[in-house]
Amino acid sequence: MKLLIHDLDEEKCKELFPSTIDNMTILSDNGSMHHCIGCFGCWIKTPGACVIRDSYGDLGECLSKCDEVMIISKCFYGGYSPFIKNVVDRCNPYMHPYFEIRNREMHHRRRYNNHFDLKVWFYGENITEQEKQTAEKLIQANAINKDCSVSKVTFLQDIAEIKGYLMDGGVFK
Amino acid sequence: MKIAFINGSPKVKNSTSEYILKTLKPLLPKEYELIEYHFRTSHLSNHDMEQMAECNVLVFAFPLYVDGIPSHLIHCLYELEMFFNTKSEKKIVVYSLVNCGFYEGHQNVIALEIMKNWCVKAKLNWGQGLGIGGGGMLPMLAGVPEGQGPKKNLSMALKTIAGSISAAATADNIFVSPNFPRFAYKLGAEMGWRQQGKANGLKPKDLFMQR
Repeated sequence: MKLLIHDLDEEKCKELFPSTIDNMTILSDNGSMHHCIGCFGCWIKTPGACVIRDSYGDLGECLSKCDEVMIISKCFYGGYSPFIKNVVDRCNPYMHPYFEIRNREMHHRRRYNNHFDLKVWFYGENITEQEKQTAEKLIQANAINKDCSVSKVTFLQDIAEIKGYLMDGGVFK
Repeated sequence: MKIAFINGSPKVKNSTSEYILKTLKPLLPKEYELIEYHFRTSHLSNHDMEQMAECNVLVFAFPLYVDGIPSHLIHCLYELEMFFNTKSEKKIVVYSLVNCGFYEGHQNVIALEIMKNWCVKAKLNWGQGLGIGGGGMLPMLAGVPEGQGPKKNLSMALKTIAGSISAAATADNIFVSPNFPRFAYKLGAEMGWRQQGKANGLKPKDLFMQR
């Protein structure tokens, strides 16, 4: 499964992605998402599922079915926008609480065996060079953390440019 | 000097961030005015932002969430950026104390960079950052005297950053890991997960559940 996570509003989304290919799930901000409260319930109460049962409570399971994850995020200080970061934070149940050493550092071990490829597009009019450097490091660190691979990190001044990237990549018709 | 202590943990109480700020507090000069905030949600009141704009120093303490800043705190920072950009003549210095559950304190380096980038956008001055490893263990070590045992590195780092804050000075970031072997930390943490699972009626194998 391909998963597209974005922080665009509904109108922009319709304009940029009028029709999707099969086997594609799109995750948008429906305005009802609660933020992670750091309770670790997804590890010690209901392993693999978030205890917050809003419409984003099964993101760990969703990630376990992916071979490709695409993220479109406004760049905030060299990181994700609040909604995208919320999705990333609420994917915690994808991992297992136990630790292992990867990249000579301590990280959480896998819960699932799937491997996904990560592509990230950051957009924004005033992304500084420093913010781009930070964002590149963040995505590489996320890939070590989630034990996945990064195939692309792109910075766009205008979100309209994303259409060409996604159509070239065969993501949209 | 007026200092704002900002706890960015979403936890209501007993967070590591709360513990770190509590430990830092007595290391600062008593005559300094300290205002304490707890950013648990994504929005800030105008009253709090007005108050913060009058401070000389902002000290943030928060947990590392997936190599970065918890989402609710990013939104708070954005609100502060918008607010501070309506004000002129600010000379506010920002310090950030980030803790993670992993052993290595340097895993907090990107979160500190994001905070520094925020300072540029909000037109504030970056002071210093402290990246703390083994954060999950700290509240459990409340009985261990400061400067001793597993807390030795952290206590020294907090003294150093307290010195920087007291002078509103800029200095290099500091990264600390517990004075405790990594393998022992790993074993202890995993035993902790099993015990917490057991308290919720789970067997050790249940922690591996797939959905």
